[in-house]
Amino acid sequence: MKRVDRVTRLFRALTWLYPPSHRQVYGAEIVSASKHRWSRPAATLSNRTAVRVAVVWGAAGVWHDRLRGPGGALSGGWLLDGRFVLRSLWRSRGYAATAVLVLAFSVAAATTVFSFVRGTLMAAPPYPDPEEVLVVWGSNVEDGQLRDVVSGPAYLELQRRTTTFDHIAAFHHDAAYLLADGGRPEVLDAVEANADFFPALGVQAAMGRVFGEEDRMSGAARTVIVTHSFWRNRLDSDPDVIGTTLPFEGNARTVIGVLPEGFEWLAPAPLFIPLRDDVLAADNPGRIHYNVVARMADGVTIADASADVARVARDFTDIYPGFEGWSFHAERLHEVTVEAVRAVILALAATVSVVLLVALVNLTTLFRIRALARSAELGVRRALGAGWARVARILAMETTLLASLGAGLGLALAPVLLNRVTQIVPEWIPIPESASRVPALQADLDPGVALTAFLVAVGGALVLTLPSLSTALRGADPRGSRGVHGTIRGTRLLVGIEIAVATALCVGASLMVRSADNLLAVDVGLEHEGLLTLYYGDTWGEDPEGRTTYYRRTVEAVRAIPGVQAAGVIDYIDFQAEDDFARIYFLDRSLQPTRDVREEWRRVDEGLFEAAGMPIVAGRGFRSDDFSGTPNTAVVNEAFAEKHWPGGSPVGAMVSTHDEAYRDMQVVGIVQDVRSLGPAAPPPPMLYVPLQGNPRGTMGLYARVAGNVIGYVPALQEAVWSVDSSQPIAGVWPMSAFVDAWVAVPRAARSLVLALAVLTLLLAAVGVFGIVAFLVRTRRSELGVRLALGASPDRLERDQMNAVVGIVAVSLIAGVVVGVVAARAAQGLLYGVPPLDPISVVVAVLATSSAALLASYLPARRVGLIDPAEAMRAE
Amino acid sequence: MTTRDPGHAEAPMKPVHHMILLLLAEEPTYGVELMDRLEARSEGAVRLNPGSLYRTIAKLVDDGLAEPLEEASGPEGTGAPRKVYGVTDRGRSALRAEARRQAVLLDAARALDLVEETP
Repeated sequence: MKRVDRVTRLFRALTWLYPPSHRQVYGAEIVSASKHRWSRPAATLSNRTAVRVAVVWGAAGVWHDRLRGPGGALSGGWLLDGRFVLRSLWRSRGYAATAVLVLAFSVAAATTVFSFVRGTLMAAPPYPDPEEVLVVWGSNVEDGQLRDVVSGPAYLELQRRTTTFDHIAAFHHDAAYLLADGGRPEVLDAVEANADFFPALGVQAAMGRVFGEEDRMSGAARTVIVTHSFWRNRLDSDPDVIGTTLPFEGNARTVIGVLPEGFEWLAPAPLFIPLRDDVLAADNPGRIHYNVVARMADGVTIADASADVARVARDFTDIYPGFEGWSFHAERLHEVTVEAVRAVILALAATVSVVLLVALVNLTTLFRIRALARSAELGVRRALGAGWARVARILAMETTLLASLGAGLGLALAPVLLNRVTQIVPEWIPIPESASRVPALQADLDPGVALTAFLVAVGGALVLTLPSLSTALRGADPRGSRGVHGTIRGTRLLVGIEIAVATALCVGASLMVRSADNLLAVDVGLEHEGLLTLYYGDTWGEDPEGRTTYYRRTVEAVRAIPGVQAAGVIDYIDFQAEDDFARIYFLDRSLQPTRDVREEWRRVDEGLFEAAGMPIVAGRGFRSDDFSGTPNTAVVNEAFAEKHWPGGSPVGAMVSTHDEAYRDMQVVGIVQDVRSLGPAAPPPPMLYVPLQGNPRGTMGLYARVAGNVIGYVPALQEAVWSVDSSQPIAGVWPMSAFVDAWVAVPRAARSLVLALAVLTLLLAAVGVFGIVAFLVRTRRSELGVRLALGASPDRLERDQMNAVVGIVAVSLIAGVVVGVVAARAAQGLLYGVPPLDPISVVVAVLATSSAALLASYLPARRVGLIDPAEAMRAE
Repeated sequence: MTTRDPGHAEAPMKPVHHMILLLLAEEPTYGVELMDRLEARSEGAVRLNPGSLYRTIAKLVDDGLAEPLEEASGPEGTGAPRKVYGVTDRGRSALRAEARRQAVLLDAARALDLVEETP
């Protein structure tokens, strides 16, 4: 019974291929007869396929009868007209190819960019009701900290005292050490999140469950939730995975849930581990460590939520005075994750819209010129009895054919372009001002965008035929009458707009190129080429001395590798959007605090500055004798010195930190700044201290190597494991990869805007070419007469080119003005180059004017090829 | 001036149209039955699929050669509707005209001794 229904549905669906009237009368019978054929005892698979094909074939036949029959759309000369259109387009292959290419490139560019926009900015985040989900930051306006993580007690205060949220959760990125075969720990990204995390996001498990009340406190079972891709790739899509254990270093964890497909959380982490509320409560209020994400209650606005968290911040200062100067503020999570690329993508969308505008202007020009050139021929057709509808039909057929070809070609090109675009975007993008990063935005060709682009191209082209229809119907003599002058004037204006737009885009493209080049050329403060980095160690269980010994021994082992020129350790690797702040006290001679600030700090060893290629600019760097006993020396960077000793020198000054292991340290030198928050951001003030006081349980290692950096990866891992094979190593990365990630977005934007500017320039050149070619064509007989009377071809060629020189000059000026104004509006995208940059303006003017002159010279040269006798005979 | 045979406009007829009209002239019937009978009558040589069958029927109805006569319930009580088609007067005239045309051709073939007479 079920099978019969499916077959019936199939054939019913196929009857929709028939013309409606046929379907109404015969549809039910076709289904019944098809089922009869289908269910014959002897029917084989291929017979059944044949029945399906036959129903489709029958539909084609009925349509054929309808269209060709009496009163059918293809009767009354449609075929005749179609053949005429094909023949006339074949005769004007240059025109046809130009129109098709103009449309193809425009449709390809528009489809690519708008697919990208829809797939990124407009894509839904992997959680429901994204407008309800906020991220709550700690902020200290005075210190310039606008987005910072918060402490465990601060989060719990938010959890207890806010009234505007359904759920408010704490989480942080961590590493999990999964024991691979052979017992060596593999480091995986993990998110440690408390019981409110998944309810705040509104995400349910696809299998099993998410964290609940039973996971809230220490002593609960050791559990883990895995992402869908981890379950598929690493757990072989095991349907019985819930309740099994994964071997983590230290202890196993029970898998309690698999997340839905497509859920990727900020930095793509495959594992989620419970964060206990009692651990948060026991945390030092000065140790800020956690991100906070919250879901607003019904009817609450983001302003209510912001006021609510700010109120809690004021009260929290009473409990913990160290919070003085700090507050909380809330933003929509989705806005934070797309902001790194929003400006660039919107600029691209605006640019491609301009390209489309130019393409439309171009098509109008092409169509009008074509219609005028054909007005005599169409006039003859009218004289022979063809009505205006017939002439319109011919023009519409021609336009539809060209537009369909162009749009089809554009859609074929678009996936290739989109593939290129997604290749030049990095795997992850750092979020400015925050210790987070997001997976790069990727997109596939959007079928909706593709269909819209096709329809707009064909429909738009048809609409653009309308002015040319009136031109054609006027039946004007193309040589010298009012029609010509009217068309030339209109066309010249349109071409002028094109040149202006192309100039403006060229100004923008030059600025983007120079801006990206500036960014790429920025001295980031360390020599990232030839530098390998890795995070390693899980020594939190050891005392500071044990940790120090371990890290010093591993650095020795790494230095012993042939080809390694220098090595050093640092607790946070630069350019990874990570920060670590210390409360720093400035001391007078009697070691009394005079004032305190909050600045970034790093614990390093004596080899770090040499390995990183960070020169000492004043005083001295660390020496080996700074690394015995309690740390009593410190080095600051230039930004730190300039901020706290403006115009003076910090060398010899005394500083302390909140950490008891780092008290009463003398500043011994100034090291060059590192732009660790990306090349465009100012370098953060930084205090470097010797690691032996209280090193972190996990540290970063820098190794400067000669030659191919990647070739050193195995040797580096072996050297670290030669000290203790049970210690984990996170991925080994060349420093250049991190630096490149910061400039990848402007670099991608540079390539795309440059490509769009070249495209616009080509389109404008096509416009200029068209108008001069048309002039030469319509004045053929006049030029023939002048040649016969002895005019020099050179002079006549110049005359034709002069027809566009004026409009080119005016348009260039207008274009520069528009370009500079637009650049001023998008100044945030520029780096190290003013909107009114003379070099960019000159480059744009030179590029556009050369393209325009070349485009007018090529058709003007044809004047020399006119045979006076033949031209006059044609008259 | 001669009066045109009312069926003349349709001659010569396509073989498939001719066979279907002949079957309908024998006995009005519905589509599925027609499809099977056509196949049996031509000993499997002419196998019309449902799409083409109803395209042909639609053409014959539009040309006024065939017409739907009644609507009956489907086979084995499935409830699917089925129309019974028959030949119109104009259809019979067309069949007659086609028969005449073919008789002339047959006579010409006979004169050349090209026809094997069945015993």
